[in-house]
Amino acid sequence: MFKNYLKIAWRNLQKNKLFTAINIISLSIGLSASFVIGMMIYHDMTFDRFHKDGDRIFRVTTSFSFGSGGQFYNSGVTAPLGETLKDGIQEIGTTAAFFTIYPVKVTSEQVNQAFRNPQGVMLSNGDYFDMFSYNWLAGNKKSALKEPNAVVLSEKRAGKYFPGLLPEEVVGMTTIYNDSIVVTVLGVVENFKERSDLFFEEFISLETANAFGMQDQVFSTNWGGTNSNSQLFVKVNDLEMTASVQQQLDALALEHEDEESKQDGDITSFHLQPLNDIHFSPTYAAYDYSQPQASKSTLKGLFFIALFLLLLGCVNFINLNTAQGFKRSKEVGVRKTLGGSKSQIRYQFLTETFLLTIASALVSILLSMWLLQLFSDFVPASLTANVFTEPMVIAGILALLITVTFIAGFYPAMILSKFKPASAIRNQLAVSNGRIPLRKYLTVFQFAIAQIFVIATLLVGKQINFMMSQDMGIKTDAVVYVDMPWHEKSIEKKERFLNAVKSLPQIQTASIGGRPPASFGYNSAGISYFNDQEEVKLDLQQLFGDTQYADVYGIELLAGRSRLNDTIKEFVINEKAMKLLGFTKPEDALNVQLKISDEVFPVVGVMKDFHQRSLKSGIEPMALVGDGYRNIGFSQFNSVHFSLSGGSETWENTLVSVEKEFENAFPDAEFKLNFMDDMVSRFYLQERKTAKLLKWAMGLSLLISCLGLFGLVIYTTEKRTKEIGIRKILGASLSQLNFLLCKEFLILIGIGFLIAAPVAWYGLDNWLQDFANKTTLSWWIFGISGIAMIALALVIMSAKTIAAANSNPVESLRTE
Amino acid sequence: MLLQLNNIFKWVKTGGQQTFLLKDINFNVEEGEFISIMGPSGSGKTTLLNVIGMLDGFNEGEYNFMDESVHDLKEKHRADLYKRYIGFVFQSYHLLDELTVQENLEMPLLYKKLKGSERKAMVADMLDRFNIVGKKDLFPTQLSGGQQQLVGIARALISNPKLILADEPTGNLNSSQGEEIMGIFKELNEEGVTIIQVTHSEKNAEYGTRTINLLDGRMV
Repeated sequence: MFKNYLKIAWRNLQKNKLFTAINIISLSIGLSASFVIGMMIYHDMTFDRFHKDGDRIFRVTTSFSFGSGGQFYNSGVTAPLGETLKDGIQEIGTTAAFFTIYPVKVTSEQVNQAFRNPQGVMLSNGDYFDMFSYNWLAGNKKSALKEPNAVVLSEKRAGKYFPGLLPEEVVGMTTIYNDSIVVTVLGVVENFKERSDLFFEEFISLETANAFGMQDQVFSTNWGGTNSNSQLFVKVNDLEMTASVQQQLDALALEHEDEESKQDGDITSFHLQPLNDIHFSPTYAAYDYSQPQASKSTLKGLFFIALFLLLLGCVNFINLNTAQGFKRSKEVGVRKTLGGSKSQIRYQFLTETFLLTIASALVSILLSMWLLQLFSDFVPASLTANVFTEPMVIAGILALLITVTFIAGFYPAMILSKFKPASAIRNQLAVSNGRIPLRKYLTVFQFAIAQIFVIATLLVGKQINFMMSQDMGIKTDAVVYVDMPWHEKSIEKKERFLNAVKSLPQIQTASIGGRPPASFGYNSAGISYFNDQEEVKLDLQQLFGDTQYADVYGIELLAGRSRLNDTIKEFVINEKAMKLLGFTKPEDALNVQLKISDEVFPVVGVMKDFHQRSLKSGIEPMALVGDGYRNIGFSQFNSVHFSLSGGSETWENTLVSVEKEFENAFPDAEFKLNFMDDMVSRFYLQERKTAKLLKWAMGLSLLISCLGLFGLVIYTTEKRTKEIGIRKILGASLSQLNFLLCKEFLILIGIGFLIAAPVAWYGLDNWLQDFANKTTLSWWIFGISGIAMIALALVIMSAKTIAAANSNPVESLRTE
Repeated sequence: MLLQLNNIFKWVKTGGQQTFLLKDINFNVEEGEFISIMGPSGSGKTTLLNVIGMLDGFNEGEYNFMDESVHDLKEKHRADLYKRYIGFVFQSYHLLDELTVQENLEMPLLYKKLKGSERKAMVADMLDRFNIVGKKDLFPTQLSGGQQQLVGIARALISNPKLILADEPTGNLNSSQGEEIMGIFKELNEEGVTIIQVTHSEKNAEYGTRTINLLDGRMV
C-alpha cells in the first residue's frame, strides 16, 4: 500500500512540474535556514553540559555599582575570596580558584622554536581538577600541581610542544616561559571531547606565581582589588542551597566594603553564575577572547527568521495544494468509489507531502552548505558540518521533517479527503460555503511577513547610513594608530619610535598616547568638585595623550590652552563635562580644581564635544590628560597616532617605513596599522550584520511569497478561463481583464501591508531605542516598501494574466 | 432479494424552492437481474444510480441492501457495504491516469488490504479474462476508448461484486466498441452478476431483462 502511495505521489509530482518546483524551492529554503540556524542553536546550547554535577557548579563573579552612576561587571573576583569560601561557607562543597595568565612566549626543550602568546594558560593549585574531571593520560592528579615550577599540559598542547612523544614521555620534560621561567611537565590530561568554554591547555602550579611576578595579586589579602584574571568556581552541595549561599556572599561583600566606598554609595556584590550561562552571558566574559560571546538574543532573532521562512514555505504548500484540489477531485472520487476510505486517502496525500518534504530536505542540505557561508558572520568557528552526524541532530532533523509534513500536508489532505465521491467524480465541488478560504488568510500572512522584512531592511539601512554620515567631531580620515607592545616599560624606546615616525615624509602630525578618542575602550575615574553649594561627583572618562594628540585628531579647543607638557597633571575637559560641572560658558570652567581621591587637577582648557564611541551611545564627560602616573610604573602611552597627507594611494611607502621603524624598535612584537575610518565602521559591525541578515531574510521571504503568488495566479486564471472568454466576447479590454484577475490578490497584499506596518513600526521603534543618535521612522519608508511590494506582485501576476487575457475566447470556451 | 427501494424521495433547495430529483421511487431487484434505467436528460437516472450505489444520500424513504437498512447505516458502514458488494463502471471510464492498467486493477484490492501475492494472482486472472495482458504496463491515455472501458469493467469486477452499476458505459464509444462492451455485460449477467445500467439507447436497453423509465425523477 505504502509503495503504491509513493508511486502515485512520485508520478503526480512529475506531472505537475511547475507546482512541484515551487513547493520544493519554497520548502527547501525554509528547511535549509532551519537546518543551519538549528545547528547554530544546538551548537551554542550544548556547551559545558557534560560535567559531572554541572548544574551545581557556579562561577563567582563581581558587579560594581557606583554612587556616581555606572555599573560595571567583572568575571573575576577579589583574590582572597577563594580562600575565604573554601572553609567559610558550609553549603559549598568544592571551590576552585585559578588565575589566567598571558605569557609572552614559551619554548620547549624539544622544539627549537618559540611559541608566542600561548592561549589558555592558568595558575592553579590543582583544585581545578577536583571541580572538573579530566582524563589523566600521564602524571598524578593529586601531586602534579603542589610544587613550584610544575605544569600540566593538555594532550593537544603536549603534542605541539613535544611532537611525536607519548604522554608518559612528555612527563619530566621542561618548558621555558618568558625566556626565564623553567617548569617541568608533571602531567598530561586529555582535552574535553565535548564542547566547552573551558579552553585551558596549560596548568602551571600556583607556587610558580612568584616567577611570573604575580605573587602580590595571587597571595593578596586585600579585598579592594578585582581583576578578571582571578577566577573562582564553586560547587554547592544542593541546588536548593544557592539562595543561602548568595545571602552569605552578600554579607561577605558588605563586610569587606571599605569605608570610603560606602560613603560614596558604591556597592560591590558577588554573583553565582551557572556554569552553562558562561557561554551566553552578555555581562561576564568567557575565556577565549578570540571567539565572540554567543548571544541569546541573536539566536532568538535567527530562530524566528528560520521559523518564518519555514512557515512561508508551508503556506505555499497548503495554498497550492488546496487550490489544486479541484484538479484531483476526480481522482479522489474514483478512489472513494473503489473503496478508498477517508483515512486512506488522507494518508495518501500525507505520503505525497512527506515525499516532497524529503526531496526538499535533500535540496536543502546542498543549500545549507551555501547558507553556512552566507551566515558566516553568525556561525561560530567551532561549528562544522560534523554536527550533522550527531545522533541528536539527526533525530532533530527527522522530527522537523515529520512536523513540516504535518503542518504543510494535514490541511490539504483533510480538505481533499472530504470530497463527496458522487460530485467529486463529476468535478462538481461544493462551492464555497460563504466562509473565506484559509488560503486568503495565509496569503495575507505571507505578504505581511515579507513586508515586515522589507520595511525593516530599509530602516536598518537608513540608520546605518545615518550613523556613518554623521560627523564624529574628530578627524577620522587619513588617521592611523599603531599599538606598541603593552609590556614595554621603556618610554624612551617608545619616544624613539615616535620621533622616527615624525621624520617620515607625508606624516603631518604624530603623537604618543593611549587609545584613540573614539574606541571600544573605556577608562574613567571618579572625580569630585565643590561648586558654591554642593559637591558634584562625576565619572569622568580619561583620554591619555601628549600635547600633539589633539592636533592629530583635529580636536578643537574652545577656551583656555592645551597642557604644558606630556606628564603634567592638568585636564582639558569636554563640553559635556563642563555642563555637568555646572558651567555654561567654557571660559568659566577654566582653572577649576577637580579632585581624584586626594589629588587635585586644574582644568586648563575646554575642548569641543566629539563622539567617543559609536553613535549608538551618547557623549560622556571626558578629559584629555597626560601620562601622569608614568613615574610610578603606570604609563598609559602605548600607541603612536599619526595623520597623513595626500591621497591614500600614495601612502604605501610611508606605511612600509613605519613598519620598518617599528620592527627596529620592537623586534619581537606584532605590527598592526589601525585606520581610524576602519575603526569607525567597525563600530557598526553588529548593525551591518543585522542588515545583511535582514537583506537575506527579506530576499528569501519575498522569493517564497512571490513563488506562491505565481502558483495561485496560475491556478485562478486556469479556473476562470471560461469567465475570461465570456467577458472578452462581451467586450472587456485587456487591461480590464488584467485588473480583474489581479484585484483579488492586490487586496490581500494591501491587507498584509496594513498588518505589517504597525508591527514593523513597533518593532523598529523598539530597536531604535538602543541608539542615542537615531534616524527618524519616516512614513516614506513604509510608503515605498508598500508600493514596491505591489509593483513586484503586479509584475509577477501579469506574467500569467496578460497571457490569459490575450488568449482566443473561442478556444477557451470550446474546452468547456 | 438483492435490494429494495421504498418511497425514495430526494430534493435540493434552490432559492427557497424545493426541486425534486427523485420522487417516490419504488422497486425491487432480485439477484441475477439485468436492469436498464432509461429516461431523458435530467430525469434523475444518474442520481438514482448514485443512490443505489450509496455514493449519494436521499431525503426520505427506505433502502434495503442485502437485508441491511442503508438509510440507518453510518457512512463508514455504507462504505464497507459498497466496497464489498458493488462495482462501478462510468461513462468516461474514470481510470486513474497516473497508474498503469495493472495498477488500476490492483487499486480496489489495495483498499481491501489484500496480500501482495493474492493481489497479483487476481490481477493476472482479470487481465487474462479480458485479454489485455499485453496492455498491462500501458497508461490509460495510451489506450482506445473501448479498451479503457474494458479496463474499467475489469476493475469493477476484480473484487467479485454482486452488483455492477454502469452509468452509460457505452456513451463515449463508437457502435462496434459499444456492442463489444454490452456483450461482455451480457456474459457477466449470465454468469450470475446483477447489473443495473443507465442508458439512452433502446438498443442497449434490450440487453437487459427489465427496464425502468424515469421522467422528472418519477418512475413511469
